Amino acid sequence: MATPYLRSPVHYLNTAAKHLARRNTDGRHTYGDDAGPRRDVCEAWRLPIIDTYGGGSPDVVDPSEFPRHNEVSFLYAGDSESSPNSVAVIGTFHNLYQAVPLARVLFEGEPTRYFAASFVVPRRQRHAYRFLVDGRFINDPINPQTQIDESGSAWSAFFTEEFTEPMVFERWELEILYRIVTRIAPFRTEDANNFMTRFYFYQDKQARNDVFSNIYRLDDSVGEVNFIDNLLAREERHHLIDYRICLRLIDGLLRQRNPFLEPTEMPETLYADLYDQMATDSVPGWDTTQYGSPLYFLQLLRRHAAMGAFSHPRYGGNTGAAGWAYLAETVGPFNWRPAIEPPCGISPDYRG
Amino acid sequence: METDFDVVIIGSGAGGAPVARELVLAGKKVLILEKGPMFVPQYGTDNGCSPFKRDELISDGFEKRLQIPSLKNHGAAYYSSHVEPDLNDEPHVYRDSDGSDRATLEGYTAQVVGGGTQLYGGVSFRFAPLDFQLQTFNAGRGALPGDPNQDIQREARDWPISYGVLEPYYVKTEALIGINGTTANQLKPFSKDVLHPPLEPNPVSELARRGMIDASKAAHPGNPTPPQPYRTPLAVITRDHPSSGRKGPPPQPASADAPDFADPKYGASAKTSYVNRYGDPLGYKSSTWNALLHPIKDNPNLHLRCNCTVTRLTASGRKVSRVYYFDPSGTERFATGRLVVVAASGIETVRLLKLSMSLDAELQSGLTQNGTNDLLGRYFLTHAFGGASAILPDRVDKSIALDADWASDFGATQEFLNANKLWASGFFYNNTSDQALPLSLLRTIGAQDLDTLWNGYASRTDIKGDAFIQYLADNFGRGLSVTFMANQVPQRDNRIELHPTVTDKWNRPVALIIKGWHPHDRYLMDTYAEQCGQILKRGAQLMGWSGEQANRFSFLGQGGSYQAINGVARIANHILGGARFGSDPADSVLDIHCRAWGLDNLFITDGSFMPSSGSGNPTHTIEANAFRVADFLKTVL
Repeated sequence: MATPYLRSPVHYLNTAAKHLARRNTDGRHTYGDDAGPRRDVCEAWRLPIIDTYGGGSPDVVDPSEFPRHNEVSFLYAGDSESSPNSVAVIGTFHNLYQAVPLARVLFEGEPTRYFAASFVVPRRQRHAYRFLVDGRFINDPINPQTQIDESGSAWSAFFTEEFTEPMVFERWELEILYRIVTRIAPFRTEDANNFMTRFYFYQDKQARNDVFSNIYRLDDSVGEVNFIDNLLAREERHHLIDYRICLRLIDGLLRQRNPFLEPTEMPETLYADLYDQMATDSVPGWDTTQYGSPLYFLQLLRRHAAMGAFSHPRYGGNTGAAGWAYLAETVGPFNWRPAIEPPCGISPDYRG
Repeated sequence: METDFDVVIIGSGAGGAPVARELVLAGKKVLILEKGPMFVPQYGTDNGCSPFKRDELISDGFEKRLQIPSLKNHGAAYYSSHVEPDLNDEPHVYRDSDGSDRATLEGYTAQVVGGGTQLYGGVSFRFAPLDFQLQTFNAGRGALPGDPNQDIQREARDWPISYGVLEPYYVKTEALIGINGTTANQLKPFSKDVLHPPLEPNPVSELARRGMIDASKAAHPGNPTPPQPYRTPLAVITRDHPSSGRKGPPPQPASADAPDFADPKYGASAKTSYVNRYGDPLGYKSSTWNALLHPIKDNPNLHLRCNCTVTRLTASGRKVSRVYYFDPSGTERFATGRLVVVAASGIETVRLLKLSMSLDAELQSGLTQNGTNDLLGRYFLTHAFGGASAILPDRVDKSIALDADWASDFGATQEFLNANKLWASGFFYNNTSDQALPLSLLRTIGAQDLDTLWNGYASRTDIKGDAFIQYLADNFGRGLSVTFMANQVPQRDNRIELHPTVTDKWNRPVALIIKGWHPHDRYLMDTYAEQCGQILKRGAQLMGWSGEQANRFSFLGQGGSYQAINGVARIANHILGGARFGSDPADSVLDIHCRAWGLDNLFITDGSFMPSSGSGNPTHTIEANAFRVADFLKTVL
């Protein structure tokens, strides 16, 4: 059970005014496969709002528990200040069959066309939800993420920070990605392996539970692939199609080059050759009618791998800040902890 | 909702907030309309968490794609921060040197309460006395390099106020905003030193300090007292700041894995390198929100409406009658003020006024002085800027830094200007937070501007595996750059217009930026870039390195922004001119009080009032001038 609560109205208006309010319907924001109203709005992925939890819910009042949670805020934009009459939300983060009303957001004490409510939800979770608008169930018209329920029906979905289960990739796609990302990121040398082993091994039990429980695959050196999965589920979902096509092409190429092994078991040299060929944008056997430029995909992957290795751990990469820690040890000095909030960092003031 | 006010102020940044503060404290009923969100530090929020975060994906995070088919860079990737407009919603369009129109992230400060002062690095120079008198200084100097037709003598303008008039307001700004630095060795007279003491410089800066001393000496042969470096004034408090109620940063706590931080001299908790392009979650950075508006936020005279986009002004006779805006729902509303102050950041101010003129004949008549003056939008300015960079032999932790440590005015002496045949001056400072964090290093490989992030890294496919580690070892914590900021020659055709076809998310025409560099600008940038190079090369000679250590020093290069691929677009977020003030109504848009010549109650207080761009980063001068204008407004209300 999650109890709804309300932030100050301006908290919701800050997101609504920039991302939802507009009159231009050019569909300028559809550079992926998005359809419906979200074609017109910017950064549809910002909804629902997933943010640091700083208290407010009666469900979690102990500040030491705050870092294990996120604040999830639902925002629904109606047609006008008077329509619809009521909006509620149901979802798996709550008792699924009990609709929780969203409150109309006020501006200067007067009604706006927005409805909102916030909930505290543990980190590393994914949930399905729907809005109940004037008695009718609809998916969130803005958030593009969906999840299929047991009956095959698509629900709107969200995930909280540091989420570690694959959402967009299948197992075979992940396996290939691990291998290629390994070529890119700086974590596969013997030194790096030794470091990672020590880094993970020497965490005390509490720290492992707090921070490192999301190391679900040591292949994924610091969670770059997990980061990419999260990224393609939300912020850069327009690039999911690039991965879908290219991973299938790469799988086919590798099997052509070595018909006797599964791609995941193939020797490093095959991946090294492939990387080098992609870097020159000339991959023998690459079907350019399906995807024009292997170099473009490599560049995309390189950016994503770097972001995953060194961005804030909240995004699901840089697991337990292992990427930063490795940088500090190998390259250093890089005293990142004092600036960053607990539990990864030690800032006494900054809350994340 | 209340609609009638003594003053309506459009924008809450450097130009708007000082006016708001002064008039609210004078008992006037003030409405601030701010387009951006109410993003504030932790202490001002309802749950103690700030939308400003120490998170490299907040400032230049996820890729988006430009989707405006009529623009040349349709389909290009961009990475805007959470307080910049989405380019698809509200692009700035510039006309490139090949005549094509492109969207750019350049030229936005930030759309948020406090405006650009939330995101900036905080470099807070005063302008030099000479910056106010460039017409006088250049009179009779003859042709300067790159200027055979003496455009400069024709186009340079003295400001209608002198340094002396603005000086008390500089002091006021330094006190009320909260700025740290040192006053000694600056070529600007200080009647009072109210700066907070600077924090210990980052060790990377020592080379720049030594180089500034030596380059100054070399540039002033025969002068026994060439200008010495000083600590760059930064809008970050280092002590308690009673006027804003802020506590200064405490020393970092000692801890087993952070022994350096046990030494309070070395690490104050304000130094994180999440500085430039980051809002400060702890509020040490002196944004106009933290310094000026937060302290008066509960005053019943202050009405602050964030998330409200002003769409047009209307006039009746010689007065602005109404200010129309979209509320957060997108519903149109209006407000009236006895006075109206526009401080929307230069480009957007000009755009708003031009849009309003196209819809309201009386406003058009007022702003053009009955059709006789077409200067609005013209003489748009930014800075002539650039610098030099090097790789130092040994790594330091650049992640513990503010935005800049040392500065020098040795390029601003009359001796230097005459010897180098420059029309005007510039200041030098060394950057400290640049490329200080892992992603900021990687995404700016081969690119320093906002439109080309990640491109360099993407093309360096050799940076992988072991070579990735080597790249980091060679570059992380080893880069040192020195920047110059200098006056740009005012040109009538450098201007802001309304774009004929591209519209924003409200279907309103967006701003079109048309600007180029004067040949003397290029010469000036080459001259100052050479000095930045000298600072680094000379500094390296004075570090006492030898052998292998000396060999690990590598000078990377020097240059001016005109040389960049998109050099025409480069603005450095210093958005100046376009509505210059002056003493002749035929030659300016605003009078000495920054009041529109043809509209008695319309004032403009962002950087667009400037007739020249000054020798350094402009925010301090925008704030000081806004305080000056506020004193005048008190006399007319």
